Amino acid sequence: MQPLTAEGLAAAIRSGERNAVDTVEAAFARIEKADGSVGAFLELWRDEATERAAGIDSRRDEGLPLGPLAGVPTALKDNMSLAGHELNCGSRILAGYRAPYTAGAVERLVAADAVPVGRVNMDEFAMGSSCENSALATTRNPWNLAMAPGGSSGGSAAAVAAAEVPLALGSDTGGSIRQPAAFCGVVGVKPTYGRVSRYGLVAFASSLDQIGPLARNVRDAALALGAIAGPDPRDSTCSEEPVSDFLEPIEDGIEGLKVGTIREVRTSSLEGDAARGFEQALEALARCGAELVEVSVPLVETAVATYYVLANSEASANLARFDGSRYGHRAAGARSLGEMYTDSRSEGFGPEVKRRIILGTFALSSGYYDAYYGRAARIAGALRQQFADAFEQAELLVTPTSPGGAFRLGERVDDPLAMYLSDVFTTPTSLAGIPGISVPCGLDSRGLPLGLQILARPFADGTALRAARAFERETGFECRPEPVQ
Amino acid sequence: MSLGVEEVRRIAELARLRISAREEATFAGQLSDIVDYIDQLREFDDGAASFEETETASDVADNDLPRPAAAAGPADLDETPLLDQFLDNAPASLDRFLLVPQVKATPGGDE
Repeated sequence: MQPLTAEGLAAAIRSGERNAVDTVEAAFARIEKADGSVGAFLELWRDEATERAAGIDSRRDEGLPLGPLAGVPTALKDNMSLAGHELNCGSRILAGYRAPYTAGAVERLVAADAVPVGRVNMDEFAMGSSCENSALATTRNPWNLAMAPGGSSGGSAAAVAAAEVPLALGSDTGGSIRQPAAFCGVVGVKPTYGRVSRYGLVAFASSLDQIGPLARNVRDAALALGAIAGPDPRDSTCSEEPVSDFLEPIEDGIEGLKVGTIREVRTSSLEGDAARGFEQALEALARCGAELVEVSVPLVETAVATYYVLANSEASANLARFDGSRYGHRAAGARSLGEMYTDSRSEGFGPEVKRRIILGTFALSSGYYDAYYGRAARIAGALRQQFADAFEQAELLVTPTSPGGAFRLGERVDDPLAMYLSDVFTTPTSLAGIPGISVPCGLDSRGLPLGLQILARPFADGTALRAARAFERETGFECRPEPVQ
Repeated sequence: MSLGVEEVRRIAELARLRISAREEATFAGQLSDIVDYIDQLREFDDGAASFEETETASDVADNDLPRPAAAAGPADLDETPLLDQFLDNAPASLDRFLLVPQVKATPGGDE
């Protein structure tokens, strides 16, 4: 039996057909059964979740209205604040840190009556594409437990794919929602930059970070995005652009819509039978009535390099705050303030975070600034313009989400560049600040999911969701990973 | 360009990181590969566009009205003054101040 959707659960709880308390209990039972092998959750918030669910049930019993996500058990990535709860960002340096306030997106989620049930694993400080950079746990891909779930929101994707929860929040800086969604066969939405508040999200690269939902189908993702999107004066980059109703037009289809493929996205470079998967996805879009066109975005080829300069430069500045003085790990025995900084950071950060801080510090350092940061910033500007031009010729653009399906745990940990290159199709979207959705587009020959990435103009998140829904209806993908059935 | 062990050590110091000799060698190799890859950007940079000029988002200013600091959360937390919540996260504090090692060097000290 397929698990209920977030939409179906919320409707049943609102109508009184189900209780929120039973729903949350069922989620904990499922987590208990499946998470031993998947390893998505770092902590469960059993008491608080049950209490919140009981509050929802009693409000319903009193005849009070309930929110659109009434009683939906939801997992939070370990970089989002929920007041009073520990938050580690997958790192030892934040051991013991308790959030003093709640993130803007989480506030909205709770206001919509979703029930946060726990926090899920991620690559340390969201730096990684496999979840293997987590200092806290190993998360496995529910489709094949020897495979990586993708990253950095690997815990979010794995928890949803294993039907532990119908909904999770992730964050995406260069593909961290979309790539794990593709690897785990779920839907992942990176909204337009500024669509969702970043207040209370631990910063990695502030000009790129964005929170978004992961769900088992497009309607649930749209429902969740509608709940968390909207202005927040506490994040100066959060847009005041009105949030449209994503669900209302979602079944309208894409008949006659121009959908572009990008000439410079070379399908010859795809791994295994991912090229065939992408071709079949294009055929499905054509069957949906889309008019396929080809556009040119020459600078997409530069996106990984550009991204790793900009993101790591920002990270080197953002992560300067973790120095052992105000929160998190402090090294013992330091004799001076400087020594405390260096010792705490050296003990607290894992190798990938150190590598990236060093790379970012290098790119910003005197003598190299213009050749690295300056150049990357100029190219990102030009890339954004090229995307704007491409959207003159097509309403939406599509690419594979990743060059291939999930790779084996351990396969790329010693080769950071190879790991970075799995972001080749997701980083351009991030640099352009546009919305990108990964929707499952079938299985490869190993039986592992592949993702189709659908891109739209800034704040046309709804158009991308509508296309993703049409595609999902046409292809009828079912997320049923055998190892966790 | 390649990054040598010396260069990696110098940058790590700038970033307040100490890395072991083994890590230095590994990082130098890995970072050289990454920087080589990044150097392909040279041929795409015509020096024309700037990041700022094509910015799609615009800054939003806060209205600066006073509001309670912590909204959602367990009841007992709401009753704790915000300063105490922050100090609870501090590795060391004294009389509601953060406690850190000596900031200024003593004569003859290391720093």
